[in-house]
Order: sequence, then C-alpha cells, then structure tokens
Amino acid sequence: MRKQKRFEVLAARPVNQDGFVVEWPEVGLIAMGSPNDPTPSIKVQNGQVIEMDGIARDKFDFIDQFIADYAIDVSITEKAMAMEDTAIAKMLVDVNVSRDEVVRLVRGLTPAKIVAVLDTMNVVEMMMAVQKMRARKIPSNQCHITNVNDNPVLIAADGAEAAMRGFDEMETTVAVVRYAPFNALALLIGAQTGRAGTLIQCALEEATELQLGMRGITAYAETISVYGTENVFVDGDDTPWSKAFLASAYASRGLKMRFTSGTGSEVQMGYAEGKSMLYLEVRCIMVTKGAGVQGLQNGSVSCVGVPAAVPSGIRAILAENLCTTMLDLEVASSNDQTFTHSDIRRTARTLMQMLPGTDFICSGYSGVPNYDNMFAGSNWDVDDYDDWNIIQRDLKVDGGLRPASEDEVIAVRNKAARALQAVFKELGFPAITDAEVEAATYAHGSKDVPARNVVEDIKAAQEMMNRGITGLDVVKALAKNGFNDLATNVLNLLKQRISGDYLHTSAILDKDFNVISAVNSRNDYRGPGTGYRLSEERWNEIKTISQAIKPSDFDV
Amino acid sequence: MSQQQLVEDIIREVLKNMYKTPQGAAPAAPAASAAARGLNPATDYPLAAKRPELVKTPTGKTLADITLEKAINGEVKPEDVRISPETLRLQAEIADGVGRNQFASNLRRAAELTAIPDDRILEIYNALRPYRSSKQELFAIADEMEFKYNAKINAAFVREAAEVYERRNRLRAD
Repeated sequence: MRKQKRFEVLAARPVNQDGFVVEWPEVGLIAMGSPNDPTPSIKVQNGQVIEMDGIARDKFDFIDQFIADYAIDVSITEKAMAMEDTAIAKMLVDVNVSRDEVVRLVRGLTPAKIVAVLDTMNVVEMMMAVQKMRARKIPSNQCHITNVNDNPVLIAADGAEAAMRGFDEMETTVAVVRYAPFNALALLIGAQTGRAGTLIQCALEEATELQLGMRGITAYAETISVYGTENVFVDGDDTPWSKAFLASAYASRGLKMRFTSGTGSEVQMGYAEGKSMLYLEVRCIMVTKGAGVQGLQNGSVSCVGVPAAVPSGIRAILAENLCTTMLDLEVASSNDQTFTHSDIRRTARTLMQMLPGTDFICSGYSGVPNYDNMFAGSNWDVDDYDDWNIIQRDLKVDGGLRPASEDEVIAVRNKAARALQAVFKELGFPAITDAEVEAATYAHGSKDVPARNVVEDIKAAQEMMNRGITGLDVVKALAKNGFNDLATNVLNLLKQRISGDYLHTSAILDKDFNVISAVNSRNDYRGPGTGYRLSEERWNEIKTISQAIKPSDFDV
Repeated sequence: MSQQQLVEDIIREVLKNMYKTPQGAAPAAPAASAAARGLNPATDYPLAAKRPELVKTPTGKTLADITLEKAINGEVKPEDVRISPETLRLQAEIADGVGRNQFASNLRRAAELTAIPDDRILEIYNALRPYRSSKQELFAIADEMEFKYNAKINAAFVREAAEVYERRNRLRAD
C-alpha cells in the first residue's frame, strides 16, 4: 500500500514507540471501573464488619479481613457508605469542606466505594482534591542516586548536588547487591554535605534494608511492598501481618518508613482476578492504613508501563495518589520509572502531581543521568534539571527544586567526595585517590570517573557490616578528619531516632533538623489565599535563573 | 526498555494464567490502644523542641547529652541513639491527637518491640512470611513475645496471623 507522508511522519514520533493496549477487563487490563469490580457494600454486626463489597466475612481473603478489621471505622461506616458517590466527590473538591471533614468520612469507606467515588471525578477535580487533601502543607520532592558501577565517590558527589538542589529525601539502590553498605554510606555523607537534614534510604530486600537502618547508615525506608490480591501478596513473599510487623519493627528502632504499591503490579504478576487496577490499588492503600504506616509510595511506580498502556491509566495513577491523601497518609507520588519515549507525554503525566503538589512529587527524580539510574530509569533526570526549574518559574509552582550555580555545585560535589575519601581512609576501606575525587567533582555520570577495584570494595563493604560499623563510627571518622560540620549533621540525623518526631506522617527535616510533618505543618488549604503559598524568599529562589537576561546586561 | 514488549509480555503471561483457584475464609479481632497522658499535638510536638524533658534514650540520657564531643570520645554508644518505649508511647499519643489511630497502634506495637534484639526481630519477621511457619511455631513466637518480652499486643497480633494463615493455607506445609 502506498504510504501517506503524514502517517510516515507520525509513525516515527516518539509516542508511537510506546506500548498501548485495548481494555481487557477479564485479566485486569483496565484502569478503573472493571465490570468485575465489586459493588460497594458494608454490613456491621456487634462492632465487626461481616460483609464488605459484596463478600461475606467467612469468604474474606486475608486482605479483605485485614482491611475490614484494621482500616474501616465501624462507628461511621454505615453512614458514610450510604452517601452518594458524587456527594463525596463534591466534598473532595469543595473548598468550603475542610480536609479533616473529608478524612473523617473516608475512614468509613470500603475499597469499592472509594473507587466508585474516584470514578466520578475528572483529572482537574482530582488535582483540586490532591491540593486540599495532601497531608503536609509544604510539597516536596525525592530523588534517586545510583550508578551502574556502584561507584561510591560518585554517589557521594551526586547526592550532595541533589540535596543542594532541593530534594528532601534521596534513595539509592545497587547494581551489585553486596555493594549496598557502601552505597548507603556514600549517600549519607553526600546528603549531609549538600544540605543538612536530607533524609536517605537504600532500597534493598526487606531484611537487609532494615539492618542498614538499625545501624544508623540510612534514615528511613520505603521499599516495603504491598499488593492488592492475596496471590500476588504471597508471591511477594509477605502477608499484611508480616508487613505490619515489619512496620512496627522500623518504628521500634526509631526509623521512618513508608510502604510501596502501585496500579499494574497485580496484572504484571499475573493475578489481577479481573479487577481494575485502581480497585486493587485502593486495597493496597487500605492495607497500609490498617498496618498503621504513616505513608505510601504509590502511583504505579515500577509498573507504570501497564496503566500507561490502557485508556485513562494516567488518570488512575492520579486517583491512587489522591486516595492515599484521602486516607490521611503521606504520599510519595511516583513520577519515577520511565514509561514513554515522548517528552510531551512524560511532562503531562507529571503535571498531575506537580501542579497540586504532593508530599514527594517524584519518588524519585533521577539525580543521575538515566544510564546510571539503577531503578530502570526515571521519568525525570539530571538532564531535565533546568526544564524542571523553568516549569516551576513559568507556572509559579513549587516542585521542590531550585536553580543552582556551577560554582556551588562543584563545591559541594568536591566536599562530599573528599569527606568520603577521609571516611574510607579512617575506616580502613580501599583508598579513594585524589584523582577519583577530582573526577567525581566534575563528572556528569559514571562514564566520567575511573573504575574502582570492585572485588576489594565489595569485600570491604561486607566487612563494614561484619565489623558492625554504625552511624556513630561515621560521625567519629568525619570529625577526626576535620569535617566537624558533617559529623554534626550525621549525629543530628541519628538523634532523630531518639525523639521519634520524624516518624510522623509526611515528616521531612529542615536544614536545622527541625521536623516538618503533617502534625506541625498540616495542610490547611481552603481555597484561594489559603494553604501552601510560595514565600517571597522561595519565589525569588525559583525565579532567579541564570538564563534570564537583565537590562543591566546591555551597554546602551 | 520497550513498552511494547512489556505489554506483550503481560498479555502472554495473563493468557498463561487465566485460571486461578479461589479459596475459602473466617474471623479475627483488631488491636486496642492505651490510655492518653494529655499531650497536645499543637503545643507539645515536636517533642524534641517542645517537650525535650520527656525524651530520654533507653539508657536514660537526654537529647542534650548526645553531643559531638561525647560521640567522638566514645561516651555516646549505639544504644544511646535508639528510641525508648516510653517515647514511642508519647508519640502514639500525639498520633491519636491528630486522629491517626492506626498509626498510634503501630507505635504502641513498636514500643513493645524495643525489648526484642535486632536479630530476633529479623527472625520473627521471616517467620511471619507465608509458608515459613507452622501454627505451633507462630504460637510459640507469640508466647515468647508475651512472656519473655512482655509484648502483649504483638503476641495477639501473631496469634491472629496464625489463625488467618491456617484458614488461608499460608502455613508451612510439612
């Protein structure tokens, strides 16, 4: 057949390299409103839920039971469930109805009812609702810091730069699992160099992740996955009870943590039971609520390719973020894994969370080039720093980042690399040369730094665990080498786990280690002129970009 | 990564797994929360700044005792930078005060778990994973929690898990 020229051009566009699929409800390839989704219902007898969403108690799977017993307020559920879907949706967008009022009502809703409410809303209404329902008043952002070689010097430098650019949380993971202790250590030092009080985590298998936290190398955890069907939960090697126990284990060591879930994971793992992605995800959110975890990373996360392929999938992702806020949980709203070849599409997807603001708009933004991102790439990366900053400036919206000058970036990258060099020397780890420090300072990514002896590094990383190195050893090593400011920062981070203030919903730390959470910084949005507004200082920071010409640049 | 490939893989995978076996079901009870001590989230939080006198490490130190100098000379030990059960219960009160009751219950379970050593915590977590334990083994863990560590809420929680796992066939099949 003769090709039509315009269709040839369109076929070559990036968006046409993306994957799309028609709705297929039988296997769960449907974003919202599967014909197999249950009809909302609730029956309470003697203070116990005896039927939920059409399922009698003796037929509950373990997720149903956990939600019914731990996540639903039986004192109000019958009244809440009797309300019209649109009446609840209108409360979500009505600036005259307070966040607290909505939160109280949502405590009585079942998963199917929440889905029914969300399905009455378009994305603009959902964004309005997120603006009001987000738990913390101030929005924030999180990044990934990794590289293909697990080069610790580069992790320290990239972490320092990202912290300075504004990320309040940073997450690393590994290319090689046994490198994990070094990645965590390097990020800890990088974070406290770039901006005192930046929180860090290392995403690993559950037990190892907890161990690094207990040692005081990491400050919080996030990779604690929950799923929406029992089969997938079991495939993930957990149950709501094991995960709830793990949550308490973290809190018992004074460590902040959140769960992770997302639409599409059940389809991807082959057990969606014909339910819509959003229905299954709402079950995850309610398991999180029932477990008493302060927050959740969701928004499809690493399964984004699945909802992104079906109609209304990006809307469903926003709906799951919104649901998390409705249940009064911190939301780290994904915008992480790469899902499209199209710059237009990836931007449109992110505006859903960036415009209303969430507790962490990205979870995370790649603070390294995409080739170094060990979370399978991110929707945003270091090459987009200026785009992000200019979108903030264009729309006068706070996306959590700030423009940075080359001089200050060089300075913090260098300092972090030197600090890590000193700590490695002090703790007897394989030497970091001055050439490596220099390379990491000026590098864009791992292609720009010399290779390290991986065998020696891994051996030493294991030793670090065997010797029982803790955050306090890092404090001492830094102080002994003249990095008293960084030593103080690491110590202050460790002290957070004594008071437990940062265990609370949506907690972050400012540069003086004051906790900002949804307890002392509660979202009080009630329409124009209320809620979070950019301060004069913050707006000046956002609008001052080096690219903007000034009249004084002209010699006329 | 190719999205097209991902979507195709999923379709293939779901076609292979079209038929799944459903299972039967039974009951259980939620955890209770303890009495309040009158903390007000608006005036007492953050505790470190507003009520530092209430915050003590498990070793009896205050936040002011944890200084860089003392960290350097070894007076601050790892056990000094841990949270105490009392502090967790205070934070649970704050959580209740802002209407986050499930979170408060989590903090109260955590308060009990402070008594259990790190390694044992990790072992218990693994034992609670699906197909890892028999009902008797989970009951033994619950007894250990209750009688050795006085972790009563957690003990009830583990017993509840054992019943659910039995009903849903998630116990270890010997």
